[in-house]
Amino acid sequence: MIGPAFYIAAAIAVLATIMVITRYNIMHALLYLVVSLLAVAVVLYLYGAPFMAALEVIVYAGAIMVLLIFFVMMLNLGKESAEQEKLWLKPRIWIFPSLLCIILLGELVFLVLQNHQPAAEVKIVDPRAVGMALFGPYILAVELAGMLLMAGIVGAYHLGRQKEKTLHRFLENNEL
Amino acid sequence: MSFVDFLSLGPLITLSAAGVATMLMVAAWRNHRIIYSCTLIAFIMAMMAVIPAIKYIPHTYPPLLVIDEFSLFNTGLILVAGFIILLLSFNYFEEREERKEEYYILLILATIGALVLVVSRHFMALFLGLEILSISLYGLIAYLRARERSDEAGIKYLMLAALSSAFLLFGMALVYAFTGHMDFPGIGAALRQAGYLPVSVMAGFGLMLIGVGFKLGIVPFHMWAPDIYEGAPLPVAAFIATISKGAILVLLIRFYQDIHGNDYPMLWWMVAIIAVASMFAGNWLALTQQNIKRILAYSSIAHMGYILVAFLSGVQTGLEALAFYLVAYFITSIGAFGVVIVMSSSLQDAETIADYKGLFWRYPWVATVFTAMLLSLAGIPLTAGFIGKFYVVMAGVNGHQWFLLFMLVINSVIGLYYYIRLVAVMFAVPANGEQTTVVPALPIAGNITLVILTILLIGLGVYPTAMMQLIQQMMRILV
Repeated sequence: MIGPAFYIAAAIAVLATIMVITRYNIMHALLYLVVSLLAVAVVLYLYGAPFMAALEVIVYAGAIMVLLIFFVMMLNLGKESAEQEKLWLKPRIWIFPSLLCIILLGELVFLVLQNHQPAAEVKIVDPRAVGMALFGPYILAVELAGMLLMAGIVGAYHLGRQKEKTLHRFLENNEL
Repeated sequence: MSFVDFLSLGPLITLSAAGVATMLMVAAWRNHRIIYSCTLIAFIMAMMAVIPAIKYIPHTYPPLLVIDEFSLFNTGLILVAGFIILLLSFNYFEEREERKEEYYILLILATIGALVLVVSRHFMALFLGLEILSISLYGLIAYLRARERSDEAGIKYLMLAALSSAFLLFGMALVYAFTGHMDFPGIGAALRQAGYLPVSVMAGFGLMLIGVGFKLGIVPFHMWAPDIYEGAPLPVAAFIATISKGAILVLLIRFYQDIHGNDYPMLWWMVAIIAVASMFAGNWLALTQQNIKRILAYSSIAHMGYILVAFLSGVQTGLEALAFYLVAYFITSIGAFGVVIVMSSSLQDAETIADYKGLFWRYPWVATVFTAMLLSLAGIPLTAGFIGKFYVVMAGVNGHQWFLLFMLVINSVIGLYYYIRLVAVMFAVPANGEQTTVVPALPIAGNITLVILTILLIGLGVYPTAMMQLIQQMMRILV
């Protein structure tokens, strides 16, 4: 059963990702990106990593996407943004991503209900094993990941800050 | 972690602590001078932390890291280079930027990334180190936001580095899929056991080479180099040219040795083609440039090609030559960028060749230092660059790589032209009434640093024995 399920999920992932990079509107692209991440989560679930699949949904499709969407919406303030949002909600825009999502959901429900034994070559990794590895031999990797995040935050803080200042100066010039 | 683990990872832990500490200090109170001094102290402490670690080598921190002579030597090299770049940075940023404190945090973090690469023996450590290095570099390259080219350079680096990381990850996945190991010795053992190199692993190595090659700036993954050298602040450009490339090179050697790369002629050919292409492209493209930063960028592409020739010779001498060349290249590159830093005014970097016209008659000392650095890049006797190149040729002769050696000699001759052209411009007598556009800053700390670098350069060129012995001792364990 693992074969067809994998191919459907993988096809959806590829299709959705192609749609992400060919959209001109960032919101549309983000919608497809969510679908693509969900499809990857189904693949992970299929291959015996239910914990990773849950993380993929919660962290990527959930938290990070919501943050991105918030940022995009916050940047578009003003009268035009309301009309813009109205445009985004046309059925033409959301019907295709929803369709892909429904296929994925159907697949997932089917897989969960099927109550089958895992295929012989798939080894299930439970959350406990992930935690033991991360805080056992790979503890240094976790700490290095912390350094990585720090570099990202400090860099983004500096660059973002500067941009605000140039905008400010630009406005001042306009007033003169 | 045991006590020995702590001691062995001393330099890394010291710098990580310093990174967090400086960030908290910036959050509390901004003062350029204080942050600068703290960063200097942190680098000195990290350098001193190398000494107690010597007692415990070789030490493995399974599965991620390994601390042996080779990694410890390069840790020291990277820390010293970082320290020198730091010395050159203070004045440069003091004159240019309102918010200069974050630079030091990012510099520390980028150095941590390089140190992780040097000690890693596992894909995970490799990737984390590489990403720490790249993500810090995005911020550093685009640091001077007021300048017109810095945004462009930052975004270019961001896009290409992200793309190359994707290649690297996919390559790792392919290698892991076949061998079932992510640590380098494990991969080597699995491949030995299999007795051949399957197509998927071959493709994996190829993809990884793309990721690594991008960071090394070797042809055909070199497109970013000139634009980023031009757009980045000068100390950052020096960092990219030396520490970033050096760390990746060290990693490449360790990986190649651990997977017994010499057993697979296909791998050898891949690297050989890249090496020859890098030498030619770097030197040819440098010939017509009018911008010093771009010349240095292309020259560093060519130098990576020379280093790969030593790497490919497949003999013990080759690895020694590589380590020596790296030391010489670090000194020379930082020195050359140091001269450009010292010569730049707060308004404009001294980047065109015209800015150096008749430099010898205006600032004889700076011109002498620059001449020494350029001659070392060209490989003229009495400089470290000559001994480095000599060592590479010797390795090539020992390994019977006549074709590669022939290419190296041709390229050295091409390279001579643009280095000597710069020297000639500096000695040209300026016409009467000719005004130079850039008024050099000539900070005292920068001048002293340049003098130290010149002494090191000539010292290594005249008396290389001590360094050679150190390197020979260190390289014995690798083969």
